[in-house]
Amino acid sequence: MERVLLKNIDNPDSADIGEYEKIGGYSNLLKALEMQPKEIIEEVKKSGLRGRGGAGFPTGMKWAFASADAKFPKYLLCNADEGEPGTFKDRPVLEKNPHLLIEGMIISAYAIGAEYSYIYLRGEYPLANHILNKAIAQAKEKGYLGDNIFGKGFKLHLSVHQGAGAYICGEETALIESIEGHRGQPRIKPPFPVNVGAWKMPTVINNVETLSNVPYIIQIGSDAYSKTGSKDCPGPKLYCISGHVERPGVYELPMGTVLRDIIYKHAGGIKGGKKLKAVIPGGISTPVLRADNIDCPMDFMSMPKFGSMLGSGAIIVMDESVCMVKVLYRAMKFFEHESCGKCTPCREGTGWLSSIVRRIENGTGKEEDINVLLDVSGNMSGKTFCPLGDGAATVAMSMVKNFREEFEEHINNYGSLLTVHS
Amino acid sequence: MITITINGKEIRLEKPVTILEAAEMHGIMIPHFCYHPLLEKWGGCRMCLVEVEKMPKLQTSCTLYVTDGMAVRTESDEISKARKAMLEFVLINHPLDCPFCDKAGECTLQDMTIKYGADGGRFEEGKRKHPENIDDPLIVRNMERCISCTRCVRMCDGVQGASAISMVNRSNRTFVEPFSGGRYNCEYCGNCLTVCPVGAIMSRLHRHAYRPWQVEEEIKTVCSYCGVGCSMILQTRENNIIRVTPKSEIGVNKGILCAKGYFGYGYIQSGKRLTSPLIKRNFKLEPSSWEEALTLVASRLIEIKKKSGGESIGGIASARCTNEENYLFQKLLRAGLGSNNIDSIVRIGFGTAQRYMEDVLGQGATANLISGIPTSEGIIIIGGDPTHINPVLGVQIRDAFRRGAKVFTIGYTPGLERFRTQNISPYSFTETTLLGNILSELLSVINLRGENESFESKIKGFEGTSIEDIEGICRVNRIEFKKMIKDLSDVSSASLVIGPDIIQRSEVRTNLFLLTAIAYILNARVYLLAERPNEQGVIDMGCLPDSLPGGRPLDVESFRRRDEELWGCEIPSKTGLTVLEMVEAANSGSLKGLYIMGENPVFNLPDGSFIKESLKKTEFIVVQDIFMTETAEIADVVLPSLGWAEKEGTYTNLERRIQILRKAIDRQGMEDWRIISEIGERLGLKMPYGSSRDILNEISKVSPLHAGLTYDEIDKGFDLWPYKGTPLRHKLGAGDWPLTNALDSPDNNTLYLFIERHMFLSGTMSRHSTALNSIYQSTGSYGTPYAKISPDVAGRIGLKDGESVTIKTEREQIVLPVKIEKGMPDYAVLLSNNFREKGAMSLLPFKIDPVTKTPAVERCEIKILKREQE
Amino acid sequence: MFSESVIKELEEVRVKYPDSRSALLPALYIAQSEYGWLSPEAMQAVSSALNIPPAIVKGVSTFYAMFKHKPMGRHLIQLCTNISCMILGAETLLDLLKKRYGIEEGGTTSDERFSLIIMECIGGCDVAPVMLVDNDYYGNLNEEIIVEILEKYK
Ligand SMILES: Cc1cc2nc3c(=O)[nH]c(=O)nc-3n(C[C@H](O)[C@H](O)[C@H](O)COP(=O)(O)O)c2cc1C
Ligand code: SF4
Ligand code: FES
Repeated sequence: MERVLLKNIDNPDSADIGEYEKIGGYSNLLKALEMQPKEIIEEVKKSGLRGRGGAGFPTGMKWAFASADAKFPKYLLCNADEGEPGTFKDRPVLEKNPHLLIEGMIISAYAIGAEYSYIYLRGEYPLANHILNKAIAQAKEKGYLGDNIFGKGFKLHLSVHQGAGAYICGEETALIESIEGHRGQPRIKPPFPVNVGAWKMPTVINNVETLSNVPYIIQIGSDAYSKTGSKDCPGPKLYCISGHVERPGVYELPMGTVLRDIIYKHAGGIKGGKKLKAVIPGGISTPVLRADNIDCPMDFMSMPKFGSMLGSGAIIVMDESVCMVKVLYRAMKFFEHESCGKCTPCREGTGWLSSIVRRIENGTGKEEDINVLLDVSGNMSGKTFCPLGDGAATVAMSMVKNFREEFEEHINNYGSLLTVHS
Repeated sequence: MITITINGKEIRLEKPVTILEAAEMHGIMIPHFCYHPLLEKWGGCRMCLVEVEKMPKLQTSCTLYVTDGMAVRTESDEISKARKAMLEFVLINHPLDCPFCDKAGECTLQDMTIKYGADGGRFEEGKRKHPENIDDPLIVRNMERCISCTRCVRMCDGVQGASAISMVNRSNRTFVEPFSGGRYNCEYCGNCLTVCPVGAIMSRLHRHAYRPWQVEEEIKTVCSYCGVGCSMILQTRENNIIRVTPKSEIGVNKGILCAKGYFGYGYIQSGKRLTSPLIKRNFKLEPSSWEEALTLVASRLIEIKKKSGGESIGGIASARCTNEENYLFQKLLRAGLGSNNIDSIVRIGFGTAQRYMEDVLGQGATANLISGIPTSEGIIIIGGDPTHINPVLGVQIRDAFRRGAKVFTIGYTPGLERFRTQNISPYSFTETTLLGNILSELLSVINLRGENESFESKIKGFEGTSIEDIEGICRVNRIEFKKMIKDLSDVSSASLVIGPDIIQRSEVRTNLFLLTAIAYILNARVYLLAERPNEQGVIDMGCLPDSLPGGRPLDVESFRRRDEELWGCEIPSKTGLTVLEMVEAANSGSLKGLYIMGENPVFNLPDGSFIKESLKKTEFIVVQDIFMTETAEIADVVLPSLGWAEKEGTYTNLERRIQILRKAIDRQGMEDWRIISEIGERLGLKMPYGSSRDILNEISKVSPLHAGLTYDEIDKGFDLWPYKGTPLRHKLGAGDWPLTNALDSPDNNTLYLFIERHMFLSGTMSRHSTALNSIYQSTGSYGTPYAKISPDVAGRIGLKDGESVTIKTEREQIVLPVKIEKGMPDYAVLLSNNFREKGAMSLLPFKIDPVTKTPAVERCEIKILKREQE
Repeated sequence: MFSESVIKELEEVRVKYPDSRSALLPALYIAQSEYGWLSPEAMQAVSSALNIPPAIVKGVSTFYAMFKHKPMGRHLIQLCTNISCMILGAETLLDLLKKRYGIEEGGTTSDERFSLIIMECIGGCDVAPVMLVDNDYYGNLNEEIIVEILEKYK
């Protein structure tokens, strides 16, 4: 398949506006500005594009809601927080193909009627920050951004807002809080951001990858686009794969590519010819899969049937040397550290889970600990304010469900028999 | 109409509310921690989970709004399990130190745990440690007990607007902290303490002193500090007030208080209270029996009356005493002593403005509900900082701003710094010029309504403003000024908030005319800030030299006749002396006897030494008070009275709402009204009152304004002007008094003395509150009163923050540390009027304004000398 | 308080947003680079520059892991130990750093040369294990490479 999102990234100067223009960059913007905003929204709706940030919400629908709200100004926010552990799919776009994102954002802003737009970039990406700012300056200079884009009277101001190390700010309402200068804690929904978002105005928040799909939809049209990828979930998808594979990295493949193929065909199989033990398919908030359960098409609709989720498409591959109790402990420590502290079950539950798993891992666990672990997870599940806490509970439950013997073994044999190899 | 069912019971609702609110309205209680009716919704604690039909998960009832046809269950096995789970989560890091937690017994966490899950936790690791913090003089913070409901923070930030505390860190390391980590240095409103559901933020005033179930009585009453008249509950035990709390369901304050209200009650139990009558013998005040003192007072007053006539006797009433007491006081003077020389310090601000504006704008023009402020679209504030003078009213202005109102402050108002659209600061003493220009600019864009023609012609005839002066004299940016005018002319509901500083000026008449005209043009609701709790009451009770109870002019014979009949005595027809005229008469020797009730004129009027010298020249002074004041010291007889919380009565707040003050503690002695009755009887009057209620009964017959009022009626809600009756109609006045000229803009480098009306300390009572003194001193951090100056002034003189300086006026000099404060005007030195020997009001010179009879305070030049320069 | 040039920089940031509160995060970054860490004075400076109460500044800044509330060494090592890095040896590297430089997680070497912070995923899993030293990324680390790299930072 022809690469769309990672097009030209092998060119060392791909981030430069000239290089981007050479391969047809910003021509889709011109085409889009000749359409009515409503038509663009219709096109995106028909294309079937779903948000790539994790939830898979139909993008066109989101735009239509915001555009229908009479309040003005409206805002477009690009979610470049990419905090889900194992995820690094947006990074090549940000660092190597920033103009694709910018072009996508201008078209999207035009469609929904936004004049101010921000890229919420995670603080841990200083290089991307530098590159984006440079790209924005170039686009401004060329008149792609500013008060009168292509002389069509459309205006857009775009800036980068740097996060500062808080995973929860990837959640859309926490992101808004953060951009407004508050502690990044999620807001009550409804009202949804499309109606009451940033600075109380209608706001569209989309992932980097989602927005980067937009110029392509304009280019080939919704019909052609909807025929790529999965049926319910068309388009190209960035899968990022890491851990024990021969060729870790970001792969642009049709949405719905089977997990086994990604691991074995594209990423070169398990490193050192070892045996596969487990895969976390969509970032550590998604349930773990056992080695015998990897024939799943990687898209939003199919993954639940296999007991997991597509999430951010961040695949972490673990071979036989890995101790799953230790993995769970590290995951729980992550959730404990990143819980925003707003709601009781997540604030207290994530820490509690991590202390139980630590006990089991270091050999001081007791038999009833597994049940307490499951019970505490159950007590969190479905009762937290936002999906972060829920995700922590789901992951804990899935680990025990899939690798219970390993937990029991730890308890019975006073600790781990496996060591993590380096 | 929305119809829902909760637990199978059908409920109809007028407007969408949350499930939790709907349930509470119908007596179904849903457990919760983070929800609080005053606060923005949060949805964090997850205790209020309920089942809603057709929804897959449990829902938080505090955030989900009802929709038609919704079916809710608030109790089920699944719900109980979830609540138990939330409690278990909360308790894993909770110290479970209930045996010595002050909250035990009224702790929501404790109650919930008993109800839903007390069977021991399964958490095995050590609990989070966080030592109790007692660095603050008034607030103890115990973050081990905190359940992160964030109520205190939402209160401090979202309601009070002080934003002094915040949640810090995240995850399970989250806790509440003021910036310093120890001391709060905040507005000390205490509202965070009110909303904390557990023992995490508590008052030091009653730390480990009692258990909540040992509270013997809870008495609903009104605050004794300022004219807002906040409702509060006094909790008592062993005849002591042990705590003051507000209640969200009652009162103008709807659940919030300010520092004085929350922490300042201690003065009433001060060891410095007067306990026995005192009689001056050989230049020394010595204890005496009541009988001796009362007889002496009566006989001396009779003697003076016989010798020099009633007009040689005067009385100063008190806005800290009840309506009943003030009524009786003027009755004693008029009926018993034949004198109309009755006035009070209310005249020097609130009173003069209130009567003038009412005359021009109609009766009740200044009787506006405080709750109307948050719904105003535009608010102008002039003459003082409402967040300091009437803090709870100030909070309403902050609320209005948050809701989108345009707020314009004129002059130094630090408490509204983050809550205003624009601040216009005219140079020292040039407000009159500014107001004149506001008037003429508004006139050019808004048409007059023709309601009060004679006043309108006066408005039209007003001259002497020039837009050039905005820059030349007021030194205000003209574009900014025009912007304010534009915004003001666009609003459809305006409020005008007026503080005492703009009235206590030599330009008092012009200022009042202009303010009234601006209010008239904008059709604005007027709020007059009132420093004392019963300023309006003093006026309505007839403690004025020219007015009988109920606002009836003394010079109308029929009114006089009616009251004479009711009282069974004669009322002199000649208008009496105002408070400053009494002082002058004392000085010239024509005033021979003076009866002062609950007031400290030597301290609270300008030019204290002149006042003192003058009063000393009288033949006989009786002072009735709860403390030995600067004025009491020069009295011949001092009568100790009972104070707030020790007696019953009513106060009329600045909205003209009558509220009941109730007795909470028993103290030996007599209420002011009882003392007056005793003296009255000895003067031959019939004053057979058994209680304050008997007096109100009489008032309701004498004052048409209060016709038919009883305590029960007030309690029922007939507490708002015009109470049970219809307002009196009268012809609108033209505001005809000759205007004063605006003063010229002063020189650049001259400094002037201004009075700081401090949020914590307001005068005689607050200086006897240890709690209020402690926070005044801790926030100033110098341990003493201080003089505030701007960084610019400090730079000019070369002063460091906290440096001790000599402050010199024409009359006095004192040594004080300076406090450098950003935002202060560069011509002002602020001194608060709080401390014995260091009162600032008494340093101001004045001329009596011939028309209003207010002390026309003049510019008081002040010099700051570095200590080594002396 | 901030110097004139910092105030100017802040003003440029401020105008990107509809209100000054929204400039808080960028302002904290600026203050952190000015003062080296967000000391009480640094937070006060932000508070007065943007007219945001100091307690709020503190509440917001302590929420975010990248704002430092104690003094830092000259160079900041941010080592990822999340799962992809962990299973490829990040823990060994952590032990090495602790031993070699005598540094604790979250601590600073006694010569103030390095501060060490354990990071959640920093988006370099393809070249795990990874770290950031100040603003520079380093991947495919092992015990030799990491020492070699750090020796460049004095
Ligand atoms: C805890 C949490 C973290 C999230 N982190 C990210 C993220 O880092 N990047 C992202 O694009 N979306 C993230 N999301 C999803 C966003 O809330 C939101 O759904 C997304 O930005 C919408 O964009 P999309 O429709 O283009 O996917 C996160 C959601 C949750 C609940
Ligand atoms: S689940 Fe609760 S505590 Fe956790 S991140 Fe979401 S809101 Fe915050
Ligand atoms: S009361 Fe509903 S979540 Fe706290």
